Amino acid sequence: MHELGVLNSMVHTIERIVKEQNVTAVHKLVIEVGELSGIVPRYLEQSWPAASYKTFMEETKLELIVIPGIVKCKDCGRVFNAVYSDLNCPDCGSNDMEILEGNDLMIKEIVCN
Amino acid sequence: MEDFKILEIKTSVFADNSIQAGKLREELKDKKVLLLNLMSSPGAGKTTTLTRTINALKDRLTIGVMEADIDSDVDARTILKTGAKTIQLHTGGMCHLDAEMTRQGLEGLDTDGLDLVILENVGNLVCPAEFDTGAVKNVMILSVPEGDDKPLKYPLMFSICDVILINKMDVMPYFDFDMEKCKANIRLRNPNAIVIPISAQKNEGIKEWTDWLENAVNSWCE
Repeated sequence: MHELGVLNSMVHTIERIVKEQNVTAVHKLVIEVGELSGIVPRYLEQSWPAASYKTFMEETKLELIVIPGIVKCKDCGRVFNAVYSDLNCPDCGSNDMEILEGNDLMIKEIVCN
Repeated sequence: MEDFKILEIKTSVFADNSIQAGKLREELKDKKVLLLNLMSSPGAGKTTTLTRTINALKDRLTIGVMEADIDSDVDARTILKTGAKTIQLHTGGMCHLDAEMTRQGLEGLDTDGLDLVILENVGNLVCPAEFDTGAVKNVMILSVPEGDDKPLKYPLMFSICDVILINKMDVMPYFDFDMEKCKANIRLRNPNAIVIPISAQKNEGIKEWTDWLENAVNSWCE
């Protein structure tokens, strides 16, 4: 289960951040999920109760924002959404591309007190 | 009404693991130990390749091996026969190792006197690529039966590897595998990757690979 391991790692990252910021409780996490990150948002949501179980975030809500997978064709320069184009440039058909956006899994905000 | 505050973080979910991995690499640099993370699909030939690698280098380098699997110790038993110091790590159901698990493994193995530690990661082309283990070099094995299109399907794995070993070259006549197409697919994801065709079973191509590895160890330990 890929997403569960990813969330376990995220719990450790947030643990460090909240210690530094003197946070008492985390109410909500806002996570940006890139379409090209290889992470399935639905599986993140399903795994969250297991990943947060018996941690300081057991009551914390997870809000996901999907970031489109935007790439630039290295052959003709066209900028397009890689997912909807099935990883091929809609203009020239090339599959040599540079990722501009949507490759990451980022913690955007921690809502806390 | 409670007062909430919003921390604008913009940090990677993997940030903590990356910090741990960076620390581990620094410690390995001080100890002059090269940690190699060996990855592949299940059945691509990691254990056989590892056996050949150890046999080729064991007169010149002191080698330790960490076998990571979800369960069982069959691989560790195979590697022990080479005489290399070996431990078995169980990930407890997890499909990859992270930096903290790798650290625990290294402590269990005890790296004193070792030049090279090879981590045989869990057989999987997805998760191990996401988590920096703290390894100095990342190497993967793609075997001929898996097909030449794998670099397109698992781009992250191919983009993080220093060397890609194409294994099972001896069965090439029976499969529809185009080596030039495979190399071109790898270059799309990672122009700097070194591609070395081998047959671990027939012990072919191993010298080019072990020469690269020996050089990597020597320059890391300088």
